[in-house]
Amino acid sequence: MDTSWFTKAWANPQALSDNLWLIIALPAFGALVCGVFGRALGRTYVNLVACASVLASFFLSVFAFQAVAADPSVIVTSAANGQPLRFALSGDWGVWFQAGSFSAHFGLWVDHLSATMLMVVTGVGFLIHLYSTAYMEHDPGYWRFFAYLNLFMASMLTLVLADNLVLLFVGWEGVGLCSYLLIGFWYTDAANAWAGRKAFIANRVGDCAFLLAMMLLVLTVTAFARAPSAEPPAIFFAQRRAVFAHAATSEPGPLNFKVLEEFAQYIPASLAMGSKGLLGTDIPIGPLAGHTYGHTLTVIFLLLLLGAAGKSAQLPLYVWLPDAMAGPTPVSALIHAATMVTAGVYLLCRMAPLLVMSPAAMATVAVVGALTALYAALLAFAQDDLKKVLAYSTISQLGYMFLGVGVGFFWGAILHLVTHACFKGCLFLSAGSVMHGNDGELNIKKLGCLRKEMPWTTACFGIATLAITGIVPLSGFFSKDDILHGALHTHLLGYEWVMPTVFAIGSLGAVATAFYMSRAYLLAFTGERAKDAKVPHAHESGWVMVAPLVILAALSIVLLLHGFPGVLKTPAGQPETLMEAFLKPVFGVADKLAVEAHSLEPETESNPWPGFVIALALAWVGGAAAWYLYKRVFPARAGKPVPAVFAAVRSFTVHKFYVDELYDAVLVRPIKLLSIGLFRVVDEGLIDTVLVGGTGWVTARIGSLLRYLQTGDVQAYAAMMAVGLLAGVGYAIFEVLAK
Amino acid sequence: MTAAQLQPYLLTLIVFLPLLGAGLLLFLPREEFGQVRAWTLLAMGIDLALAVVAYLAFDPKGAEFQLEVRRAWSPEFGISYHLGVDGLSVSLVLLTGFLGPVVVLSSWKFIHERVKEFHISLLLIQAAMMGTLVSLDLILFYVFFEAMLIPMYLLIGVWGSERRREAAMKFFLYTLFGSLVMLVAILAVYFIGQPAGARSFDYGTVYNSLLSANRQLAACTQGVGCATLAPLAVTLQAWGPLMFLAFALAFAIKVPMVPLHTWLPEAHVEAPVAGSIILAGVMLKMGTYGFWRFAIPLFPVAAYQFRPLFVALAVVGIVYGALMCLAQQDVKKLIAYSSISHLGICMLGIFAFTAEAASGSAYQMLNHGVSSGALFCLFGFLYERRHTRRIGDYGGVARVMPFFAASFLVVTFSSIAVPGTNGFVGEFLVLLGAFKASSLWLGYPVLATTTVILGASYMLWMVQRVFFGPIDRPENGALRDLDLREGLTACAFMVLVLWMGLAPQPFLDRIAPATDRFVARAQLGTPDSAKVKDTDVRVTVPPIEGAPPAVPPPPVAALALPR
Amino acid sequence: MEISPVDTQNYLLLAATLFCTGMLGVLVRRNALVVFMSIELMLNAANLTFLAAARERLDSTGHLAALFVIAVAAAEAAIGLAIVIAVFRNRGTVNVEDIRTMKY
Repeated sequence: MDTSWFTKAWANPQALSDNLWLIIALPAFGALVCGVFGRALGRTYVNLVACASVLASFFLSVFAFQAVAADPSVIVTSAANGQPLRFALSGDWGVWFQAGSFSAHFGLWVDHLSATMLMVVTGVGFLIHLYSTAYMEHDPGYWRFFAYLNLFMASMLTLVLADNLVLLFVGWEGVGLCSYLLIGFWYTDAANAWAGRKAFIANRVGDCAFLLAMMLLVLTVTAFARAPSAEPPAIFFAQRRAVFAHAATSEPGPLNFKVLEEFAQYIPASLAMGSKGLLGTDIPIGPLAGHTYGHTLTVIFLLLLLGAAGKSAQLPLYVWLPDAMAGPTPVSALIHAATMVTAGVYLLCRMAPLLVMSPAAMATVAVVGALTALYAALLAFAQDDLKKVLAYSTISQLGYMFLGVGVGFFWGAILHLVTHACFKGCLFLSAGSVMHGNDGELNIKKLGCLRKEMPWTTACFGIATLAITGIVPLSGFFSKDDILHGALHTHLLGYEWVMPTVFAIGSLGAVATAFYMSRAYLLAFTGERAKDAKVPHAHESGWVMVAPLVILAALSIVLLLHGFPGVLKTPAGQPETLMEAFLKPVFGVADKLAVEAHSLEPETESNPWPGFVIALALAWVGGAAAWYLYKRVFPARAGKPVPAVFAAVRSFTVHKFYVDELYDAVLVRPIKLLSIGLFRVVDEGLIDTVLVGGTGWVTARIGSLLRYLQTGDVQAYAAMMAVGLLAGVGYAIFEVLAK
Repeated sequence: MTAAQLQPYLLTLIVFLPLLGAGLLLFLPREEFGQVRAWTLLAMGIDLALAVVAYLAFDPKGAEFQLEVRRAWSPEFGISYHLGVDGLSVSLVLLTGFLGPVVVLSSWKFIHERVKEFHISLLLIQAAMMGTLVSLDLILFYVFFEAMLIPMYLLIGVWGSERRREAAMKFFLYTLFGSLVMLVAILAVYFIGQPAGARSFDYGTVYNSLLSANRQLAACTQGVGCATLAPLAVTLQAWGPLMFLAFALAFAIKVPMVPLHTWLPEAHVEAPVAGSIILAGVMLKMGTYGFWRFAIPLFPVAAYQFRPLFVALAVVGIVYGALMCLAQQDVKKLIAYSSISHLGICMLGIFAFTAEAASGSAYQMLNHGVSSGALFCLFGFLYERRHTRRIGDYGGVARVMPFFAASFLVVTFSSIAVPGTNGFVGEFLVLLGAFKASSLWLGYPVLATTTVILGASYMLWMVQRVFFGPIDRPENGALRDLDLREGLTACAFMVLVLWMGLAPQPFLDRIAPATDRFVARAQLGTPDSAKVKDTDVRVTVPPIEGAPPAVPPPPVAALALPR
Repeated sequence: MEISPVDTQNYLLLAATLFCTGMLGVLVRRNALVVFMSIELMLNAANLTFLAAARERLDSTGHLAALFVIAVAAAEAAIGLAIVIAVFRNRGTVNVEDIRTMKY
């Protein structure tokens, strides 16, 4: 067999590089057509245009993926030092905007990480577009829906393909924008519009932090590029410094990922020169002078974490995601499960080479992720709405991804991202199918016995549930437990307490995940039909809706291969998974830098199986507990009053721990009161009435006093003139006599 | 006549063509509404075409001021008719030219009384605004600056809403007060800078005459050479801050900066659509333009002294303006306060004294003109149908006016600086430049960045209350969507928003040399003034056409002004 | 026969006296016509001053000024008297104390 077919790119890499923009432009064009001409085109053509544009992007992505994965001759060289950076396709379409010493380019690139994300985004995106054609077949606003959906695809693809932070931010905000439009899609209901606005504003808080991080990063990189040449790093890399300085201060700009990676590579090398290294050195020039590079990097990454928390619904900015379920279910599947919410994870992975330089930030990321994972899982215990359960489950699983990133287990986080996209997408689409077949009913207490009436949906939901709870041999097991295993056995220097803590919290979260997912499955799909169900019998959905379900479920199983430990071996003899090997060109840099900078020690324990057995046991425990409770205990107690303690806890949980009310009372209401207060007191009262009106009043009063001079008596006027004349004459005489 | 021969007349045509149009309108019968509107639209359209020609004829790599013309006007007093554009003013001229036809189109069905006088006022304002932007003589600038006020007063006071007379009076007196204080400062600068007999009001001449004194003064603030100051520098040391504040007062009222801003919400609320568009679109930029061209370059040391105050006021404007928006029940007042917030960003960019911030501020001036103009124009369409400005009277409008809702949303996104729209580029550059600014407390740019949260809050809140939700009032259910005229105007705005957001570099290229010069001139007053070369800042002054060659003025003698 | 030339001082003294008399008349007299006559007196005083100065300096600019003053006085008297007549027709009086309507 001709194996060169696997090692050569199917399409010419140069042609692919030059046409990367098509991947973004095709869905954007589809959005334009659907939005402007959709109503005239009719349902069939709108569906065709929307799905075809995404399918075309998918094919291009496949070619790009294959080129990057298979062909080792596809390489990009670092503009900063002329060294080959990694296997990638890249293209630059000129300056977007440039002023002073800052410039941002329209640059796109595809490396292994981007390629992975591309496949996820376009693949799952296409399946969901297909699903939507059936889901929205009765909705009159279908053309708007597909326009927004295509626009979302274009934005997400911009985010994934961008080769600098500014263009990534364009995609970042773009997906937030499309999320706003899609969540509030049925805007005639004010609650939906409000949910969309809440999502946008929560995202904006994160975006504010992201902007601040970008600014600080520009300051740091340019200060380093311009540092006086007596500094230790400069001596060490004298011949590269000029090239780097040019790259950072004019082309291609300080926020380009290649430039940032080059900056990261200077940091550990500087350690060889002195004990403090670059991280302990003060920034020499600029507004940040006086702060050390290390502290600044930590602040930057904490801000980026806040930004990612906004987009990926982590603590403290997760509050928008459960409300976002007000949108159509395909939206929830695409945006709030597979793609937009993973943008935060992607961002942190992209910044991995610099992230590993700040153990404090990494510890924070890990702790935030772990806490969110457990917190959201607990919230999901009491939800009756199926989509809300899945929403909290998404938050929780994203927490696991953040956990993975925080412990330096980047490939694990990305693997979980991919598997999560598949099984969570499957779960949401199944929920949509359930809605479709039960006249919009989503309360799991009002469903039941769907196993007989909707076999395909049940099967897919079941497979996805097994995947998410981490049952062998599905992919979710390997991805989640790879992360937990990595968490336990990596060492974050200076923060050793973090690892066991997050492992414990993560494991608890795994038990909780198993519990609530089993609860949802058992209540909705098994057992008998609930007495207050909307329709007596559900009907299975058509093949257009079921086919994506089946494909995603199949992928949930198949992707286990990527996480299966020990499939490959590193040159050093360590076993590694397929995913790890695939992403090594991207994350190998970060790992190497972490070791050199003494911030992270990679996992030492190479045998994952004991950990896997424990994790499996935990999952079984959770599932069994759910089964026991909901199949044995509660039916037996039906009709008996619930003990007060449990009722209180349940009520507390159903109200989402009253966090929304807390935010409202602490943030929203005070700001509103402040603005009304300022408006009435300062603006209308102080400035307008007292100062401006006051000036007018004083002037008018002076005028009305002066008018008493107008007596109407001509001789009085003449007398005043005479007095003035005499005064003048007297003064003149006085002056003359004084001489 | 070749193009090169036409160039000196281009700016004169741009400024005086609307006046010609106004004169022509005088002869039209007052009942012929259609003719009046058509001729006005034609005049504005030709003005726009000329503005585009001027914009394209401007060479970013050429001299600082291009398309210059200088004729004698009143040589005994040193006043010359001197017009010229640099990168910033030619961009603002283009903006003004673009908004001219938009203003006429938006008022097509809105004004039914005294239509002829209304359109004459529009043309007068257009001429005055163009004149302000291209004047390079202080008195000529002042004349055009003041000439904007009276037609605007008429516009608000005659064709406005219920409380129009009070609002017009307030607007007029407030801005006039500032301008009169500025006149005193203009006269002061005229007398101190140059020796008697060779005095001039020409901007370049005045600037060059103050240049070395400013340098000495800047060195003195660093502690060098305070004993050997030239007499002019001594005068500047004593009076410079006051003169700077006088200029700054006039422009700060125009911008408007908090706490001098209360005329703006009332003026916007009471003005007709056309008045609001002109006011928000161009007139507010005269304030920032004035800072850029006159206040800071002429008195850099005083500007540096007062810089913390102005930066603080700018940031206060950003946050305070945004907070005020959250408390509004009136759509136009909300957009007015959002203007205050956006122009706070422009002011922050100007006073950061870095190239990125100044470029961003200049670009943001253009962006704000487009997005605020669009917001007022689009809301004007809605107001024409329902005649109410209260947010509570609307709801669910998107259901019956989908195209209108879509355009309003696009412009909203521009206003809140979503990347891909023009607002993002300007805001990003200003914030970056503010961060990069030296000796500026970092808390200011951090506070300014919160504008992304606040801006989204109030704009989306308003959008939701007006466009989304159920239609609970039957009047809202009967609204008809935009017709051809309105739709075309909306499309023009949307195209500009996206074009300026995705391809800003051609615009930025023209602004860049003006930015560099402005930053150099501003740096002259900072501790880094030694790094600024004379060639970066000196203005080249063309001779008056037809006049005998000028004799170089004698050196400035000691001046007897009271200390 | 010798007539001793009159001292300029005497002219000025006479002019000042006339001026003060006229001013007194303007301020004190009630009849509008008398006020006008007093104003004419003041103008004549000014004329006299001009002529005295012209005679002293042998400069004919003073004569010019005096002619100007005569012309202006005539014009002003004409208009002023016309106003007085109009007022008399409306109010029936020329007493300046009775015409006070242009007050606050």
